[in-house]
Amino acid sequence: MSLTLVQVVAGGLLLGAVYALFSSGLTLIWGMMNVVNFAHGDFVMLGMYVAFVVWMLMGAGPAAAVPIAALLLATLGVVCYFSLIRHVMKGPMLAQILGTFGLALLLRYSAFWYFGANFQTLPDTLVGGTLRLGPVRIESSRLLAGVVALMVTAGLHLLLTRTSLGSRMLAVSEDAAAAELMGIRPQRMQATAWALAAAATGIAGALIATFFYISPTVGETLAIVAFVTVALGGFGSVPGALIAGLLIGVIESVSAYAIGAVYKDIVVYALFVAVLWLRPEGLMGRTR
Amino acid sequence: MLIEARHVTKAFGGFTAVDRASLAVEPGEILGLIGPNGAGKSTLFNCLTGDLRPTSGRVLFEGRDVTRLAPEERARLGLARTFQVPQTFEHMTVLENVMIGAFLRTSRTSEASVRARAVIDTVGLGPLAHTPAHSLGTPGRKRLEIARALATRPKALLLDEAMAGLTPAEIARAIALIRDIHASGITLVIVEHVMEVVLSLASRVVVLHQGREIARGTPAEVTRDPVVIEAYLGKRAAGAANRAAPPASPGRPP
Amino acid sequence: MMRALASAVAAVAILAYPLVFSTPFQQRLGALVLLYAIGASAWNIVGGYAGQVSIGHAVFFGCGAYGALAAYQHLGLAPIAGLPMGVAVSILIAAVIGVPTLRLSGHYFSMATIAVAELVRLVVANTEWLGGAQGLSGPPVPRTLLDLSFTSALPYYYLFLAVLSAVIGLTWWIERSRIGYYLRAIRDCERAARSLGAAAPRYKLYAFILSAALTSIAGALYAVMFGFVDPESGLGILISVKMVIMAALGGAGLLLGPLVGAVILVPLEELSNSLLGGAGAGLTFVAYGAIVMAIARFQPGGILQRVLRLRRKARPAPAVPVAQP
Repeated sequence: MSLTLVQVVAGGLLLGAVYALFSSGLTLIWGMMNVVNFAHGDFVMLGMYVAFVVWMLMGAGPAAAVPIAALLLATLGVVCYFSLIRHVMKGPMLAQILGTFGLALLLRYSAFWYFGANFQTLPDTLVGGTLRLGPVRIESSRLLAGVVALMVTAGLHLLLTRTSLGSRMLAVSEDAAAAELMGIRPQRMQATAWALAAAATGIAGALIATFFYISPTVGETLAIVAFVTVALGGFGSVPGALIAGLLIGVIESVSAYAIGAVYKDIVVYALFVAVLWLRPEGLMGRTR
Repeated sequence: MLIEARHVTKAFGGFTAVDRASLAVEPGEILGLIGPNGAGKSTLFNCLTGDLRPTSGRVLFEGRDVTRLAPEERARLGLARTFQVPQTFEHMTVLENVMIGAFLRTSRTSEASVRARAVIDTVGLGPLAHTPAHSLGTPGRKRLEIARALATRPKALLLDEAMAGLTPAEIARAIALIRDIHASGITLVIVEHVMEVVLSLASRVVVLHQGREIARGTPAEVTRDPVVIEAYLGKRAAGAANRAAPPASPGRPP
Repeated sequence: MMRALASAVAAVAILAYPLVFSTPFQQRLGALVLLYAIGASAWNIVGGYAGQVSIGHAVFFGCGAYGALAAYQHLGLAPIAGLPMGVAVSILIAAVIGVPTLRLSGHYFSMATIAVAELVRLVVANTEWLGGAQGLSGPPVPRTLLDLSFTSALPYYYLFLAVLSAVIGLTWWIERSRIGYYLRAIRDCERAARSLGAAAPRYKLYAFILSAALTSIAGALYAVMFGFVDPESGLGILISVKMVIMAALGGAGLLLGPLVGAVILVPLEELSNSLLGGAGAGLTFVAYGAIVMAIARFQPGGILQRVLRLRRKARPAPAVPVAQP
C-alpha cells in the first residue's frame, strides 16, 4: 500500500520537474519584463508536436526531438518578442494580456486545424521499458524526462546567476534605463530571455510527448499549471519555480491516485485559488 | 505635531535605505528633507505617504498611528503628495484630473467639477482646464499634480522633488505657488535637490545621508555644517569650509 | 444638432430592424447581436472601464444559464426565476477571484479568471445534478408566458434590446459618477489615484462584481432563448473570448464599443460558419486569435476609438492660450 504511494510520489516528482522546467521560463519573463505569457502552455504544446513530427519524419526519439524543439521554440520566442511583445509591453495592461492571449488562440487552433483534434501518442518503444529503483517501478520515459528537466532547470538557474549574460539580464530586469547607460542593450537581453524561456518550453514539451498524449488543447491545462507554479514559487524566481513545480507534481499525482484522475486538475486549480488567498507572494516571498 | 516619524527603518533585503530616521513636522511649517543621492529621502518620504511600509518604526499623523495605513486612507486624513515623476492621468483633461482630488470630499460630480475649477484657477491652469493631461509639458504636469493634491483639501502636502526638470524661471514661479499654498495654512514637507529652493522656502531642514540623519536645523545652520558639506562634497571641501568660516551652533541629531 | 439627428436615426433603425429584416434568420441574427452586446457591455465595465482584464467571464455567463435551467429542472420554475440564484453565485465567485487578486498587479487577476473559469467548468461537467457533460434543458413546451419560450426570435430581440438599453444606461450613469471617474483614474495610474484617496482595490472589486452580475443576466437570457446549456456552450472558453474580442474590437472603455464589436463580429461569425462549415471551427478561432493580437498590437483602443480620434482631428481645435503657466 505505502509502496504504491512511494511510486506515485516518485512519478509526481519526475513530472513536477518537467512542470518546473517550463514554468521557469514563465517566471523568468515575468520577473524580467513584467509580462505574463498567456500562450506559455501552447508553447509547450508546440514542443510536443515537434517531437511528434520528428518521429513521423525521421523516426527519431527525444535525442533528436529535444534539441530541435528547443531551437524551433527559441526562434518562435524571439520572433514573438520582436513582432509583438516589444510593442504591447509599452501599452496598457489590456494590450499586453490580449496580445499573448491572442497568440495562445492562434497557436492552439492552428495546431487544431493542422493536426486535427485527435490525440496523438508516440510509441512506447521510443523510450522503452520500466526501471526498478529498489522496490519502485518507474517508466524510463518519465525518468528520462524528469532528470533532463531537472538538469536544464538547474542549468538555467546557473546561467542566470553565474554568467555575465545572466547578470546582464538581471541588470535589465532591475532597471532597463540604467542598464542601457552601462552599455547593455535591454532589447537584446529581453529577446534572449524569450529565447531561453521558449526553449525551455520546447524541451519540456518534447520530453512530455514521450509519455503523455499530444493534443492541441493541452496548452490550456499546462498554462494553468504554470501559473500555479509561478504563483506558488514567487514570480521571477527559478528556484521557487523548481520547488513549487515538484510540489505540484506530487500533489497532482497523489490526487489522481486518491480521488481519481478526473479530479486532479480541479485540485491543482483549487490550489491556485488557495495560493492567491493565503500566500500570493509564494514560497520565496515575492509579489508584484 | 502634525506628522511624526519615529525611528523609521526601511530595509530592502540586505540593503538598509533608511536607518532609524525620526522627523517631526509642526503644523504650519515648511520642512525641507535633503541629502545627497541615495540618502534615503524618497524612501522615507514614501514611508510617510504609505507607498512603502517601514521595516520598523512608526509614522504618526495628528497623533494617530498611521504606519500600516494605505495611501488612500492617509489622503482621507489630510495627507497629500505629489510624485517625483509626474503621475498625471494622461487620458483625462486637466479638469478631470483635479476632479479626482475633489471627489475625496464630495461624491457629486457637479460639486467636484466646481471645486476643481476653483483650484485650477488658483493655481493658474484655468485656460487649460479642458486640455488632455498628456499634452502638457513637465512644468504644467507638476502644477497639475499640485492642483490635484490641493483639491483633496489636505492639511499637509508632501512634495517629492517638485523642482526637478524645471528651468530657473519655472522654479521661481513654482516657489511663488508653494508660498501661496503655505500662506493658506497648509503644512509642507519638501524633498529637494535644488539647494536654493530649500533655503528660500524651508523654515527647518533635516539632512539624510546613507539612510541616517546627519544634521537638522535652519537652512543657514545646516548648509554651514561641515558634516553636511562632507556628505555632499567630500572631506576636503568640508575641511576648506571649516577653515573658511567656523560653523555657528549647528543642530545635532537628538 | 447633427448628433441628435444621427442618434434618432440610429434608434429608429435599431427598433425597426426585425420588422424590416423579418426572415427568421435575420431576426435571430439581430437577437444574437444584442445578446452578445449585453455580455460584452457587461465585460466592458471591469475590462474596459476599470482596466482589469478578465479572460474567464464565461464562468458568470454559465452561472446565469445554469441557474436558470437548474431552477426549471429541479424546482419546476420558469427558467427566468432562476436568475437571482445565478446572479448570487456569480457575485460570490467574483468575490472569491477579486478579493485576493485586485490588490496585486493585473496579471494575478487575469490568471485567476482563467483558472476559476476552468475549475468551475470541470466541476460542473462532473456534477450530475447540473447535467454533467450532457447539460441541462429548458421546458420543451412553453407552459406559461413566463417561460419566455417563443418560437419566433422577434420577442427575444425586443427583450434583449430592453436589457441592453438598461445595461448601457447603467454604464452611462456610472461613467458620469464618482465611481466612473475613479475607475478611469485607477486604470490610468493606480498609484496616483490611491494617493488622492481612491481606494483602488475596493472600486475594482465593485466594478468586477457588477460586471459579473450583468454577465450572468446575459447567460440567463441565453438559456431562455436556446433552452439548453452544457459545459461547453455555457462555460467554455469561446464565450470568454468572444466577450473580450467584441468589447476590445469595438472599443474597450467606450460606452458603445461592445455594441459596435458585436455588430461586426456576430454576422461575421455566422458568415464564416456557413462558408466553412465544420472544418471552419478551428479556423474561426485562429481568426479570433489573429484579430485579438492585431487589436493588441495596433489599436488597443478599438475601432470606435480610432473613429473618435479621426473625428477630433477633423474638427478644428478650440482656441487655447499656448503659453505654459
